[in-house]
Amino acid sequence: MNGESVGIHEQTEGQYVDLRRVALLESIRSEEQTWDKLAPRWCVAEPAPPWKVCLDATCDCLSAGGALDNLERRHAEDELEAVYSAIPNPERQLLTLAHIMLSRGLVTEEELARRISAVRTRLEAV
Amino acid sequence: MVDEISDFEILELAVRELAIEKGLFTAEDHRVFSEWNDARSPAAGSRMVAKAWTDPAYKSRVFADPLAASKEVGVDWAEPTGFGTTSDYMHLTVLEDTPTVHHVIVCTLCSCYPRPLLGHSPYWYRAPNYRRRIVRWPRQVLAEFGLILPPEVELRVEDSNAKSRFMVLPVRPAGTEGWTEEQLAEIVTRDCMIGIALPRPGRTSDGPRPIHKASRPVHSGGRPKEAAQ
Repeated sequence: MNGESVGIHEQTEGQYVDLRRVALLESIRSEEQTWDKLAPRWCVAEPAPPWKVCLDATCDCLSAGGALDNLERRHAEDELEAVYSAIPNPERQLLTLAHIMLSRGLVTEEELARRISAVRTRLEAV
Repeated sequence: MVDEISDFEILELAVRELAIEKGLFTAEDHRVFSEWNDARSPAAGSRMVAKAWTDPAYKSRVFADPLAASKEVGVDWAEPTGFGTTSDYMHLTVLEDTPTVHHVIVCTLCSCYPRPLLGHSPYWYRAPNYRRRIVRWPRQVLAEFGLILPPEVELRVEDSNAKSRFMVLPVRPAGTEGWTEEQLAEIVTRDCMIGIALPRPGRTSDGPRPIHKASRPVHSGGRPKEAAQ
């Protein structure tokens, strides 16, 4: 970031991450599906979704393996706060991780879309 | 149980599977980190307090640069932490209790907690009951935990947020003169570093439970003979 005022234009270039919105992630960010909304619907008192521990481990693994340093990821998360401000944590942490991985070319949007579709089919199989 | 698959659950799995497929880490790496993360404990925080009690120079560093002081007890806030909100590492403040000032920590917005030092937060720390009431009626809430502070002790409640973490450095209790760091660390339990309890010689987190014998026990007559065979 160069510190200049961006005026009414949306800022697109961060120091750590491309801040442009990603169509695929925009289609996922439904507030109704966040744990804050989901848990009360099912009368569950657990404060965090079960996948939270997996997300934490994924972040740690990416950092330990050198693919995405924790410190850089957090700086990028801070830059993306405005993009995902309507979504609470840990869903925001997940969306920003996906955003950063796309922005850095660790995965492509097409690959992620295909995998989401495959995982959904698998989890919803009866 | 939530019997509904959310888009976020699917996204988490998709991201993880792609990362494994691309060789960024292995499924075994992921399992090891998950297990390690689940096993986090407040031991590092206890060591930090015990070291500060016995080493005045270290105590100064705890307040001047808490992240560097954390490293001296084996905790690097940047790598890896098992974080939840953004920027866990950014700002840590250690709050020093004195005989006339007592601190207690909370996160009124959610459940921000100094996890690298204290491990995972207790369930009540994340519950609205504690988060809402500790800031309004701190003395009453502390009394519910069994901690009754005299009125002359000033009570300060520190509210965490996405950028700030706090930990309480309690007053070293009387009766611990000449103790080693290891001995001292044993009595600095998680609750002492949150501020809802005070350290006391003889009380450790794995000490005997305060179970009282029933005054009027029910005699069942023992195990059935066939079960004992």
